[in-house]
Amino acid sequence: MTATADQVAGELRDLLAEVTGRDELHAIPPETVLFGGGVGLDSLAGTLLLRQVQRRYGVDVAAEDLNLDSLETLGTLAAFIAARVGGGPASP
Amino acid sequence: MDSPATDGALIKCVVWDIDNTLLDGVYLESGEQPPPANPVLLGVLRELAGRGILQAVASKNPPAAAGYLTELAGLDFAAVECGWDAKPDALGRIAAAVGLVEAEMAFVDDDMLERAEVAAALPSVLVLTPADAADAASWPQFSPPVVTAEARRRGQLYAERSRRQAAASQFGGSRVDFLRHVGTRVTIAPAAAADLPRLHELSVRTHQLNSSGEPLTEGELGNLLASAGPDVTTVRLADDFGDDGLVGAAVLVRDPRDQAATVPLVMMSCRALGRGTLDALLAWLCRAAAASGAAGLLVPCRLTDRNVPFRLALAAAGFRAEPGPPAPDGRVVFSRALAGDLPAVPDYVVTASRP
Repeated sequence: MTATADQVAGELRDLLAEVTGRDELHAIPPETVLFGGGVGLDSLAGTLLLRQVQRRYGVDVAAEDLNLDSLETLGTLAAFIAARVGGGPASP
Repeated sequence: MDSPATDGALIKCVVWDIDNTLLDGVYLESGEQPPPANPVLLGVLRELAGRGILQAVASKNPPAAAGYLTELAGLDFAAVECGWDAKPDALGRIAAAVGLVEAEMAFVDDDMLERAEVAAALPSVLVLTPADAADAASWPQFSPPVVTAEARRRGQLYAERSRRQAAASQFGGSRVDFLRHVGTRVTIAPAAAADLPRLHELSVRTHQLNSSGEPLTEGELGNLLASAGPDVTTVRLADDFGDDGLVGAAVLVRDPRDQAATVPLVMMSCRALGRGTLDALLAWLCRAAAASGAAGLLVPCRLTDRNVPFRLALAAAGFRAEPGPPAPDGRVVFSRALAGDLPAVPDYVVTASRP
C-alpha cells in the first residue's frame, strides 16, 4: 500500500481530534503547530497519538526520531509517516 | 503454590473475580441477599490495598456487584470491569485505566477456563487461584519495600481519577480550561527531610515520566537531599476531585562556573499525566535556572521504551537532544537556551519559592 502525506494528514486530524477530544482539529491546516499554541499537544495526548500511529501505520516515531522533531506540525508528522509506509511498491 | 521465582517484579494491581472468589457464592444466583464475602480473600485484599497495591474487579456481573463489594471491603476499587466481555479484554482496559503494564498485574479467578484464557492472551500477568491468593500477602511480589501515605490512598486516588476523567469527557473546552475548571493546584516547593520515603517511592515506581530510567536507593536520595537539599524541588497536585499529594520532584543544579544549569533528575507519578503538572514543572525549572543567571538548561535523560511521555514533555517545552548517538548508558542530554520566550508557568501553579 502507498500512502501520500495528504492521506496521512487527513487520518492524523481524526486521531488528534480523538486523543484531545477537540472536534475542531478535524479542520486544521498542515502547518498547524502540534505542541503549544496550535493543537496544544501534551505528553498524555502525544503518547496516545504515537501509540495510535504505531498501531495504524507500524511506524514507531519515538524510536526513529529522538528529538520528536517530526511532531513540529501536522504536515511534518504526516510526511514522516508517509515516507515510511509509502516507500514500498504499490499493491497490484 | 510457592511464589513464582521467575522474577521479582512487584505486582502493583490485583484484579479479582467476584463469583466464588471474593464472594462465597454467585452474586446473581442468590436472590434478595447477595452471598457474603470470602473472609480470607477479603482480608488479603485489604492487606494488599494497605500496601499501596491497587485492587480492581473484573467480573461477569452487573455493575451493582462491584458496588456491593465496595461496601463489604470498605474501600474504593481502582478500576471496575463488570460485563460480559472476555477477561483478557477486561484486564487490558484495567491496565490502560491505571497506567500499568501486564507484568505488574495479578489476576485471581476460581474458574480454570478464565484463568487459562488470561494466561494465554496475557502471558506476563500473574494468574492465581483463590488458594494461591490466600497466601500471596507473604510473597515478595506483593511486598513493596516502601509504603507511604500516598501509596495507601492509591485506590481512592484512582477512583477520584475515574470521576475526573468522566468530567473531562463531558467538558467542552480545552484541556487547560478543564484544569482550571476543576480547581487544579500544582504546588512547587523545596524538598523536606519528611519527603524522603515518598521521593524514594517515586524513584522506584515512576517510569513514564522519569529522566534517569533507573531507581535510586533511599541512601542515594538521602545523600542527595543532604548535599543538594535546596536544589531538590517537590511537586504536589490537587484539584476539586481530590488531593494526590507529592507526585513529582526534580533536582536543579547550578554551578556558577558553568554557563548552563543542569537537571540531573526529574520524576513524576503517571497520575499527573494529562494534568499539566510536568509541563508546569519544566516551565518552572527553566525560569528558576534563568533567574539564577544560567544561559541554558541541560536535562540528561536515559532513553527507555517507557519514558516517551517524558520526551514528549521535553519537546513541548522546547528542549532538543544534543547531536550524536546516545552515551553507552543510553543517556542523551536534552537542552534549551534560556533567552527569549520561556515556557509559561500556568496560573494554577503555586510556588513556595518563586524564581
